[in-house]
Amino acid sequence: MGDDTKRTDKKAAGEPLSSSRVWTRRDLLVRGSQTVVVAGAGAYAAIKLHDPQGTAGLQPPLSIKLKDYFAKVDFSDSAPRISSAFGALDRVEEMVRAALGGLDPRGMSCFIGKGDTVCVKPNVGFDRGPLLGATTNPDVVRAVIRLCREAGAAKVIVADNPIEDPAACFARSGIKAVVDAEGATIMMHSRYHDTPVAIRDREPDPSQGEALGTWPIFWTPLREADKVIGIPVVKDHNLCYASIGMKNWYGLLGGRRNQFHQAIHAIVSDLGYMMKPTLMVADGTRVMMKNGPTGGRLDDIKVGGIAGRPCVVASVDQLACDSYCVQKLLGRDPAQLAYLDLAYEKFGHDPTRMVARSWQDYVPQGKLVERTL
Amino acid sequence: MRITTVRIIVQAVVMALFLSCVLVTTFACLDEMPALVFWVGKFLEIDPLIAVATTITTHTLYKGLLWSLVILVPTLFLGRFFCNWICPFGILHHFVGWVFNTRNTQQKIESNRYRPIYAIKYYLLGAMLIAAVFGTLQIGLLDPICLLHRSLTTSVLPALNAPTPVAAWLGEPRTHQLAWVIGFLVVFFVSMNLVIPRFFCRVLCPLGALLGVLSRFALWRIERDPQTCTNCGLCSKNCEGACDPHAQLRMSECFVCFNCIEDCPHGSLKFAFLPKREHEVTWPDIARRKVVFAGVMGVLFYPFARLSGRATKDFSSKVIRPPGAVEELEFLERCIKCDQCIRVCPTNVLQPAMLEAGVEGVWTPVMNFRIGFCQLNCTACGQVCPTGAIQRLSVDQKLGMGEHADQGPVKLGTAHFDRGRCLPWSKNIPCVVCEEVCPTSPKAIHTERKQLLIRDGKKQVVASSPTTITVADYPPPGQPFGELCLFRFNAFRGDQTTRYSVVVFHGDGTRETHRILGNDADTLMIGEVDAVTGDVVTGATFTKLPARGTVAAIHVELKVPKIDTQLCIGCGLCEKECPVVGDRRAVYVTAEGESRSQGYLQKDRNRSLRLLKKM
Repeated sequence: MGDDTKRTDKKAAGEPLSSSRVWTRRDLLVRGSQTVVVAGAGAYAAIKLHDPQGTAGLQPPLSIKLKDYFAKVDFSDSAPRISSAFGALDRVEEMVRAALGGLDPRGMSCFIGKGDTVCVKPNVGFDRGPLLGATTNPDVVRAVIRLCREAGAAKVIVADNPIEDPAACFARSGIKAVVDAEGATIMMHSRYHDTPVAIRDREPDPSQGEALGTWPIFWTPLREADKVIGIPVVKDHNLCYASIGMKNWYGLLGGRRNQFHQAIHAIVSDLGYMMKPTLMVADGTRVMMKNGPTGGRLDDIKVGGIAGRPCVVASVDQLACDSYCVQKLLGRDPAQLAYLDLAYEKFGHDPTRMVARSWQDYVPQGKLVERTL
Repeated sequence: MRITTVRIIVQAVVMALFLSCVLVTTFACLDEMPALVFWVGKFLEIDPLIAVATTITTHTLYKGLLWSLVILVPTLFLGRFFCNWICPFGILHHFVGWVFNTRNTQQKIESNRYRPIYAIKYYLLGAMLIAAVFGTLQIGLLDPICLLHRSLTTSVLPALNAPTPVAAWLGEPRTHQLAWVIGFLVVFFVSMNLVIPRFFCRVLCPLGALLGVLSRFALWRIERDPQTCTNCGLCSKNCEGACDPHAQLRMSECFVCFNCIEDCPHGSLKFAFLPKREHEVTWPDIARRKVVFAGVMGVLFYPFARLSGRATKDFSSKVIRPPGAVEELEFLERCIKCDQCIRVCPTNVLQPAMLEAGVEGVWTPVMNFRIGFCQLNCTACGQVCPTGAIQRLSVDQKLGMGEHADQGPVKLGTAHFDRGRCLPWSKNIPCVVCEEVCPTSPKAIHTERKQLLIRDGKKQVVASSPTTITVADYPPPGQPFGELCLFRFNAFRGDQTTRYSVVVFHGDGTRETHRILGNDADTLMIGEVDAVTGDVVTGATFTKLPARGTVAAIHVELKVPKIDTQLCIGCGLCEKECPVVGDRRAVYVTAEGESRSQGYLQKDRNRSLRLLKKM
């Protein structure tokens, strides 16, 4: 009641009522700017995110290209390109040193520089013990890690995307124990390590034997690495006849890679096209002669293959290394291997690589070295 | 130090211990430190409800369940202390209720009064135990330890590391069927603490009900001195069990949390030895007639469930149990749906079942080979099963090696090809991924070479020489000759696994087949391949020169896969890796031939799963 009296008094006096006061400059500044800022921000966001065509959200993410891991190696054109060392099962480290020594007298230091991060890619594809030859001999992996460290590597990563459970494969093949003992780092595959990589800038043409365009690759170890060394195991394969160096890069594929078996030679040659490794060190100590690639029985294995003595092959030419191992260790004719032809078509004439159609091309040039310990 | 402070410390330690037990239950951890198996599922082993219920169904007390005496015996002396001091689910509810409390003192007192709804848990317990008498174990649905393990395994822990990876040691986020249902339920139960404090513990928990019934024998109890008591009601302010300490204390509801003793301003409450019986209610407040109804529900559940057929005649052959699992009806008597096996499985192949195994089998482990496969050398699931639903196997036992060679390997089932979907069988596309990944030695999947007519493969001979044959399209009726062919150069050259051959049908009824070594636009070049070395033998020629106008059919020769059922162990690697993905893969595993059924052929389901007659 008191209020009512006040209201009528004020009204009579002509003053503005307290409930309908005139806004002040301060009010305008503070509240007005709040409103304008919110409106402006909303309008700005709307304009910035506007997609008039409607397809902007559907663009695939930008993909990455793989590095050339051989580019920084100071390798002479006239040096030997394949070097093999035959020895014994208990002298694996000597064999690896001898094989590398055959390529260059500096050995691993020719390939690995001080402070380099090296990605070592053995074959850890299956949950099998080392004696069954389905995975790389852990002694060879140990020797390579040691040599990398001697050459001054700051970090050595051992990575693979196996077919079976990664922890089991690394453990049973004996490679995890070796990596832990030598202080290297294991990188096991998980979805989070995959990134789409552009192997080709266009869709693959199956009629030309192409399989890869842009594909999820096990990218994290490759991104960190300055140098990549492939350590394949030499074995028979039920689909593509032989599984050696180029097939070993299969373990860097992510995604649904089992589709590629429908054109196996296309994919293996594409893997060789995709990777420009620093070095290949092929493990010919226990060669799986039949029932590859999984094997599972000791009588599938022959120590040293047809050569009879365990062997380690080092090479800067992944194509010639494959053809050499097929002939000298598996005892088969490389001409039967369709992916070698396809591979030569795809990257045989690439000036940044060292490639020969067959290992025999290197013999007259003196670029093949074979040693026996 | 106050007793409640001690209790809080104990609760924190117990919760940390429980979470550690859960976190070490992974294949990687147990592989590296096998001694930790002792801690895996320890909380399940001390759970008296699991021990009591499985004893009812199996008439035995399995291995580690003897540990339940550690809780059972002290409960008989001290009352339902487990619910507030040991039970990790109870501690979780207590903590959530405390953190999110929005009530003032008066509202708290009101919320902690006993309500008739709290009797439901006794009816649930009665129904479940009576069902157990008939041979179906359903306590796992609501037992708090089972529920918490299951929720952590299937929804909470995977959720912590998705959608972006937070920590590498949390592992890759794993997939579990209907995880959202399990996750929703646990979130619901925990959230209900904001409505009714300790909702799950007071209203639903069958373990709490069992311990509440056993509390009547307790020798130490909370006793109220009516002389000093002023009926202020403050003892109910933080009462966890809603046991009415201000009136006649309900022994079966008291969680022995000691909050009432701390809160009483007159010191009227104490934890006394053998107090007067008149001051308390020892038996839960359940009406006898309602107990009858609960019993009827338990009695009827068994035939309702069993006669629905999913465990007997109408079994699903997609229900494939872990290696070491016992026969199905016994499995349903033992599995407490704790999902520890699912947690430890390294490949994520084990999944909580939906209704495939029937309503009795909800949340029991089944294999889903679209998500994982059974690793050859792994027996982790049996190592962690607390009730023996999955027996402990050695690797030799699982693989049928060493001293177990006579029994042979444990078979989970058998793989079958769906030829309509398999690439080489029906689409002329080479693929033998299944053979490549089959882990048995010798492989259960083997291949045959099959000659398949290619599309538009029927051609007509135009000209021929001893080693070549020129062909044209087979003409439509009425025309003598068709268009000359235009093949891609060396399209029919093939490789080691895919070969092309030409079958020439001579006019006199004979035919001959030759491998095609190469071709140009319209002419095929033939040759032979040495079967042993695979080398090309040149010089092979047509026995009889193909005549103009006769039929020449071009075939592709592919390796097509087949299963050797004697060797197949049903591990599912083939199904997992088959590139023909989708609801049904080109090769898939069914429960037929599973070895766990073979000793119990008097039962309907097992009899029907026999694949081969024993030789």
